[in-house]
Amino acid sequence: MAKQKVHKDVVIIGAGMAGLTAALYAGRMNLDVLVLENGIVGGQIANATDIENFPGFISVKGSDLIGTLQKQAENFGAVVDEFDSIVKVSLRENPKIVETEEKIYEADAVIIASGMNRRKLPLPEERKFASRGVHYCEFCDGFMYQDKIIAVMGGGNAAVDAASFLTKYGKKVYVIHRSEFRADEVSQRRIRQNPKIEIMLQTEIKALHGDKKLESVDILDKKSGEMKTLAVDGIFVNIGVEPNTALFKDELKLSPSGRIIAGEDCKTEIEGVFAAGDVREKEIRQLTTAASDGTTAALLAEKYLARLKEVV
Amino acid sequence: MVKVYTIQSCPWCEKVKKYLASRGVNFTAFDVEKDAAARYACIKLTGMDGAVPVVTADDKTYVLDFDKEQIDKLLGI
Repeated sequence: MAKQKVHKDVVIIGAGMAGLTAALYAGRMNLDVLVLENGIVGGQIANATDIENFPGFISVKGSDLIGTLQKQAENFGAVVDEFDSIVKVSLRENPKIVETEEKIYEADAVIIASGMNRRKLPLPEERKFASRGVHYCEFCDGFMYQDKIIAVMGGGNAAVDAASFLTKYGKKVYVIHRSEFRADEVSQRRIRQNPKIEIMLQTEIKALHGDKKLESVDILDKKSGEMKTLAVDGIFVNIGVEPNTALFKDELKLSPSGRIIAGEDCKTEIEGVFAAGDVREKEIRQLTTAASDGTTAALLAEKYLARLKEVV
Repeated sequence: MVKVYTIQSCPWCEKVKKYLASRGVNFTAFDVEKDAAARYACIKLTGMDGAVPVVTADDKTYVLDFDKEQIDKLLGI
């Protein structure tokens, strides 16, 4: 059966801070807005426990902040669809085509706010042990490791916070990182004081072993050059993120890091296509700058649409 | 009866529940972190302790994680 064609003023790709802020602004300007999200609404901050640097809040849970923002956007008519995945886009034509598994959306403007995905463990055994010892969501899979030995791989805030969280379940949590910590001092202090956590810096995981599920890992102590095997039941990988731009690589210029090249006005090289939030190449990537990008992209998309109507 | 095994902090569990609701599926959700009998039933079904979300309609076949295509197939929706 042919897919149904649906027209939208604006299709926003991604329902994180940038995408939902754009939806809120575009909705308030009476535009017909659809937000498509194939992961978790809220993106990287959906699971954040204590956001203490978003203006107006002493401390706020990511899920609360994003839940309120989604309601705000929906109150102004934006529709968020988190169950229909995009299969391809064609941005150079007008209207622009965003084809999902179920429909073909014809959009006059597109705002790409697809954010970042967690980087996968770069070892050939990753696929064998995916969900059977190698995990990317401590909130979803931590419960599998009650009284077990867990390793968290990574040295940023996300890794350190994951290690703190996982002590709720594991009897022992290793934090394994190839260099020095990038996490802030407060988070570092928290894990250094936790008796269940053992920190292994300048250490790399080189191989995974196990029959049906993970049983041990080979680690390299980079200072001494010594290799050893560590009994581990599960690894939670937190080695950074990568831009979610695979859908756009044939349509838009990407930076060497894979982000979309667009200015502070969020305009890409294609008229009517905007990039907002962490997916845009820029120096500072914070929740506040994602909200700022969402605002800019929506306001300039509206201007673009008004001009488009004048021409017609 | 469609059953969904979940835990409270899991965003993908929430997504599965929202998806089933959006498709008009009547289901009962069990929190395996709080409900020992449900945890046991889930382990018996999947052979894995604590792996969620799990959807089943017959306590024999199941879908682990949010896999829309497989959930649709399992439930015939």
